Amino acid sequence: MTSSADGARPPRHGEEVDVCIVGAGPSGSVAARYLAEAGFSVVTLEQGDWPDAAEFPGDKPEFELVAQKQWHPNPNVRDRDRDYPINTDDSAINPLMYAAVGGSTTLYAGHWTPFMPSDFRVRTLDGIADDWPFTYEDLLPNLEAMERVVGVSGLPGNPAYPPRRAFPTPPLPIGKCGMKAAEGMDKLGWHWWPGTNAMPSVPYNGLNPCARRGTCMTGCPEGAKSTANITLWPHALKDGARIVVGARVREITYDAARNRVTGATYIDRNGRERHQKARTVILCGNGIGTPRLLLLSACTAFPDGLANSSGLVGKRLMMHPFSAVLGVFEEDLESWRGPFGHLIESNEFYETDEKRGFMRGAKWGAMPAGGPLGVTGFVGSKIFDEGGRVEDSWGANLHDLVDRRFGHSMVWGIIGEDLPEESNRVMLDPELTDTDGIPAPKLDYTVSENSSNMLKFHVDRLLEASLAAGAIETVVVHQVPDTGWHLLGTARMGDDPRTSVVDEWGCSHDVPNLFVFDASAFPTSGGVNPTATIMSVSHRQTMHMISERRNVEAA
Amino acid sequence: MTMVNDGEREVFAALADILIPAAEGMPAASAVDVQGAMLDRILGLRPDLVEAFRRGLAAAAGIPPADAAAALNRDDAEAFGAIGIVVSAGYYMTPAVRELIGYPGQVKRPPDPDETPEYVANGMLQQVIDRGSIFVPTPEA
Repeated sequence: MTSSADGARPPRHGEEVDVCIVGAGPSGSVAARYLAEAGFSVVTLEQGDWPDAAEFPGDKPEFELVAQKQWHPNPNVRDRDRDYPINTDDSAINPLMYAAVGGSTTLYAGHWTPFMPSDFRVRTLDGIADDWPFTYEDLLPNLEAMERVVGVSGLPGNPAYPPRRAFPTPPLPIGKCGMKAAEGMDKLGWHWWPGTNAMPSVPYNGLNPCARRGTCMTGCPEGAKSTANITLWPHALKDGARIVVGARVREITYDAARNRVTGATYIDRNGRERHQKARTVILCGNGIGTPRLLLLSACTAFPDGLANSSGLVGKRLMMHPFSAVLGVFEEDLESWRGPFGHLIESNEFYETDEKRGFMRGAKWGAMPAGGPLGVTGFVGSKIFDEGGRVEDSWGANLHDLVDRRFGHSMVWGIIGEDLPEESNRVMLDPELTDTDGIPAPKLDYTVSENSSNMLKFHVDRLLEASLAAGAIETVVVHQVPDTGWHLLGTARMGDDPRTSVVDEWGCSHDVPNLFVFDASAFPTSGGVNPTATIMSVSHRQTMHMISERRNVEAA
Repeated sequence: MTMVNDGEREVFAALADILIPAAEGMPAASAVDVQGAMLDRILGLRPDLVEAFRRGLAAAAGIPPADAAAALNRDDAEAFGAIGIVVSAGYYMTPAVRELIGYPGQVKRPPDPDETPEYVANGMLQQVIDRGSIFVPTPEA
């Protein structure tokens, strides 16, 4: 592989580059930043735009109103021009994402929860699913490097993890809400720890400190939630990386004679078709966008989708089915205060105990309950509304409900490990397209019995924890549909080309200059929010690409 | 641009007072003028609601508001939902209502990063530490 002659000069239009990255979310942005720094010529194609913090509604009175539509995490609800639609008729969970520089982290809650050692060895420990090609310890240096970029806030010493380097900024306050949650856990003798979050408590790497607005999931108007447009792209651009926003990739081009990809064809913002020539292509479109693109790039040599000799492209989709328990307390907890990252977390029931009736486990995160509209809903969904007669939810009962719950509620969310199943998959819809006419994805996804049993067990434990904390009322929401934040597993990595799409470095087994650096490559899902691991894995693969630059098979 | 005429505002105000009446020390929705400028503001922010909202008002015209609300809840959930969002969002965006429920909005409240957390000072977290590690280590290869 060659470097550009002038590493700080952005590649010109039409110029063949060393690397074309598809997608400027967390994984693609990590790759762009470090490849550019190492002197690679890099172009990133991103279908969304640069986010504008002035548009984020969190500092405006209508915050809760527009969170239910324009800023909803479900692209089918949001229905913006830059989103692509997704056919979810046969999916129990709706996938959530956002197209922008920074990707879906624009709307994430910023829970920074690295995978645990057992997550990389599920087959060895539990005899199910798969091991990863590398271990927690192998990835730890990349994780710690990413935490220094992200500006993670947290307290060192969490006994749920092996000893490790401290976080770069002090923990955020857990507030009255987090203290209440912790009191319940202490009464039961269960693990808890102050939440680690991708939002610094002091100014850090272009980020402002978290101001605890509590509006993380509609974009942070303070510029305090760590997203790649703030933490990575200023460095990448300085080092000569180029990004094209509004670029919708419809195909990865392939030269069968040489068995190499040659670049990406995309539709620009003006509807013109363009082609970016590249010696290497890295896919970072998330667990739905990446397999969609591979399937869209089917050709004579790969009739079932590019780099899909294994037949696994699009299969093994994991989305972390989610349940939550709302606890209501006598005391005023000021529970509209942020951060909306988790205030405290618990891994008490994270590891397998077969006596519980399921394998693997889940992480809990205690969060505030939002504003007056939020106390009857959760992240844009009316999930705590029991329905029924008008007077059940309205009239004097509404005043009573708001009086009882607003400021007095705390939500425990459950992220449970979703085991890989080939029947849960991403396909191309035969009719539905995005606004550029590119076929949209269709999902076939069922919540497994293991996941369902797991969530029920954890709901029961969280009811105990809420009552131990003194809750006077609890409400359970089981398997919420609009919670597919985590899109994983649809181009899995592994050593065997027959049972995996890419190798341990994210390189396609079939096409040696095609790479997948995003969470599509995850063999298993862990039972935690995955952004920390997504960025760490991308950093690992990027560093390997840099160190092996003279040996990479280029077009 | 006014999307809603005076007749529709009247119907809306009556329905709004069924959904949010004067009770529990709180004012009725119409008393804080959810049918006035706030209505235009809400529909301007959420144009996706306009069609179902107006359909619901048309169905409710000339019917006692409590009966109309029950009928919409039963027969046209989308319209009832749209009216419900418009009235509740407008009501809780009104400064006087926010003051009554003690909600300043999602205001800034920067923390002091040097402050010793209460859970450290009072020994709560030490109990967690003392219970020891709970992770399963990477098995030997």
